[in-house]
Amino acid sequence: MPHALIQKVPSPETLEDASLTIDRRTTLRWLAAAMAAAAPLAACGETKSGFVWAVPQPITGKGYGKDPSLMDPIVPWPLTLTKAELAACAALCDLILPADGDAPAATAVGVPAFINEWISAPYPDQQADRALIIPGLAWLDAEAKSRSGGVFAKIGEASQKAIADDIAYKGKVKPGMEKAGDFFARMRSLTMGAYYSTQEGWQVIGYPGNTPGSGPYPGPTPEAIEHIKGVIEKMGLTYAQP
Amino acid sequence: MSPGPASAIDFDEGEGLDWPDSRIRGEAMVTTADDKFDAVIVGSGAGGSMAAYMLTKAGARVLMLEAGRDYNPDEAPMLNLAKDAPLRGAGTPDKPFGYYDATIDGGWTIPDEPYSAAEGSEFIWWRTRMLGGRTNHWARNSFRMGPYDFKPYTRDGLGVDWPISYDDLSPWYDKTEKLIGVYGTNTGLENHPSSGPGVLLDPPKFRAPELFVKAGGDALGIPVVPARRAVLTRDMDKRQQCYWASPCGRGCSIGAAFQTTTSLIPWAKETGKLTIQTGAMVYEVLLDKSGKASGVRYVDKASGAHREAQGRVVVLAASTGETARILLNTKPNGRSEGLANSSGQVGRNLMDTVGSGFSAYFPSLEGRPIYNEDGAGGLHAYIPFWQYKEIAAGKIKTPRGYHMEIGGGFGEPGIGSFGGFDGYGAGLRGEVKKRYGARFGFTQRGEMIPNANCYAEIDGEQKDKFGIPTLKFHWKWSEHEYAQVEHFQNAVKELVDRLGGTLLNEVKPPAEAISTGGEIIHEVGTCRMGASAKESVTNSLNRTWDVDNLYLTDGSVFASKAHKNPTITILALSMRASDHIATRLRTGEL
Repeated sequence: MPHALIQKVPSPETLEDASLTIDRRTTLRWLAAAMAAAAPLAACGETKSGFVWAVPQPITGKGYGKDPSLMDPIVPWPLTLTKAELAACAALCDLILPADGDAPAATAVGVPAFINEWISAPYPDQQADRALIIPGLAWLDAEAKSRSGGVFAKIGEASQKAIADDIAYKGKVKPGMEKAGDFFARMRSLTMGAYYSTQEGWQVIGYPGNTPGSGPYPGPTPEAIEHIKGVIEKMGLTYAQP
Repeated sequence: MSPGPASAIDFDEGEGLDWPDSRIRGEAMVTTADDKFDAVIVGSGAGGSMAAYMLTKAGARVLMLEAGRDYNPDEAPMLNLAKDAPLRGAGTPDKPFGYYDATIDGGWTIPDEPYSAAEGSEFIWWRTRMLGGRTNHWARNSFRMGPYDFKPYTRDGLGVDWPISYDDLSPWYDKTEKLIGVYGTNTGLENHPSSGPGVLLDPPKFRAPELFVKAGGDALGIPVVPARRAVLTRDMDKRQQCYWASPCGRGCSIGAAFQTTTSLIPWAKETGKLTIQTGAMVYEVLLDKSGKASGVRYVDKASGAHREAQGRVVVLAASTGETARILLNTKPNGRSEGLANSSGQVGRNLMDTVGSGFSAYFPSLEGRPIYNEDGAGGLHAYIPFWQYKEIAAGKIKTPRGYHMEIGGGFGEPGIGSFGGFDGYGAGLRGEVKKRYGARFGFTQRGEMIPNANCYAEIDGEQKDKFGIPTLKFHWKWSEHEYAQVEHFQNAVKELVDRLGGTLLNEVKPPAEAISTGGEIIHEVGTCRMGASAKESVTNSLNRTWDVDNLYLTDGSVFASKAHKNPTITILALSMRASDHIATRLRTGEL
């Protein structure tokens, strides 16, 4: 692939909303910006509301290969979500993980851009997610239009939550919306994974690691030892160091 | 099929080798510039690098051939962030263990270098194509085999005994551990031998969940003891001690986690006696008129040329699969059984570790005080097998043991860490905080008994991109392994239950719960050592019975597959065999 295609911190051209393009990366580069998503290939089921879960065109490009640069990673595949899909994606990501006190919202750490990278990858797991997520984003918009007269990103939090409440809880997914329930669960898992694997996410969850230390491994802090000792003894067991 | 003793083979200097051969392609055979080495070693992983280190230290001129590319450990992305890798570093068919895994040009598949599984068999094969091989990314778990493990047939009538005892290898374990650096303690437990005085490095402290599991184990008579790993907990020469961060699988450029590319290979290079040729795909052993090995033939991947390398002794350490493949593809006088195979055992007795596992959730670990639990990047504690007496008394069904590798806690959150949640928004955020650090995993690593259904042979219908015939694997677990999985499942249930936890995976029937053949990447046994030329491929010093100056120093020589992870034993056996080779070179016997 010609080197000129490589763009540092690309802004997918089709996007205007800055919150969708904030790039989390310092080293990771995308080889190509967003391109229009290909037309759906075939319908694979219709809900009562008339929505068709269409199978999106699969990705056929190359992956990063078996000896990619580990120090200077590149994403070689084009990003494929449309502006409309990205807008729905961003709204959903922020519904799943909204800003909360010091904790940033999902869009603030680049989660929608990551979802775009994920569902555009030419690997089997990501392709399976693509087949669920692209029609799922269209479902969100269709559902929002039929309930509130606008696309999902524009109907406001209360209306968004009304839709989410129908599909977000195990065993309580509204009959007929099972596929949307699967879509939501997958989006939740990806959004959380993408969010908490950033340094901002580490701070929120409390992960203190991947930080070099020196000397012997300190082990649990005195507070952590006191705590685990209490837990152990409460269970009628005996605390003992090896 | 009994091809008869090797001495009956009429050698005539490679003439009549039916395949593979540059003549088929009409290319000229090129000999390496250096006319002749004392030793030609095939492979740069644990077994090959230990041989190179020992032989160069003894003054021998050594050529090491590696099929993959050169690798500089400074390529290891030790502190790089998941968010800076494609897909947050998630595993893909290109990099199955994740983007930052040290494996280069390898994994479960290599483009245009296929292997196959026989109908009804499932077997997967992890390979690398890089200097240092799989030592660049292994888990560094280093458990010695014990006295029982060398004489399994004597104990229960299954499998075969090794031709050596634990006492034969014990001093070499000591020397190996002292050389490479292994942390751990001497537990004094049955069939878990102690290292010599001053050999082991101090183990890192237990993390809080490990103390928790130990309390449960203590109540149930299940030992939870410090693990043994080839990771430095103090500086050793130029190698630095672990700094308690970075997953070891990415490779360790500071030298803390043992890999041959920061230790044995550079040490051998320092002697000035080691020549390394990377990109050299070896496919057959060369023989002289007397039937001795005179070198090897390989494809120089850069040029496509077929070349020969010559030495007084040939050491194959290409991995259990590749070593068998080279021998089976070497056909003196077109003999179909291959080289060093008068016993018919080359490719047979293929074994892997028995694997299965559970993840469990412990409500009492919710909301623990947070601190750095990365530690040494792997096991600080483990559960060695504890019921040898029950086996001997016939009280339990599994004839052989396993150990449990245990871990969890405040790990780095990853793209795959967040299944099983519900809802969204503030409630979801609260659940994440609550659950962080309350999950813990239990993994079975058990002994497999060799059986006639598990072997590798040349696939008559398939060749790789170099034209070299490929391997076909046959695989079937036996009832012994299934019984062991069931034992493990019951033990984990009991332990998790005592600790008030719940299993996060369903308890499947053993035949479904057990790992795929090859999946644990502990494949061994295709050229087993033994007491007689009739039943084994090498003698007790890793020398092939049929070819006096041909040695195998990788996992292929294992006569049994104890539950102990094989690398430390490969290293110790290679050190012992190489010491013997060095003596023979020095005395002119070779």
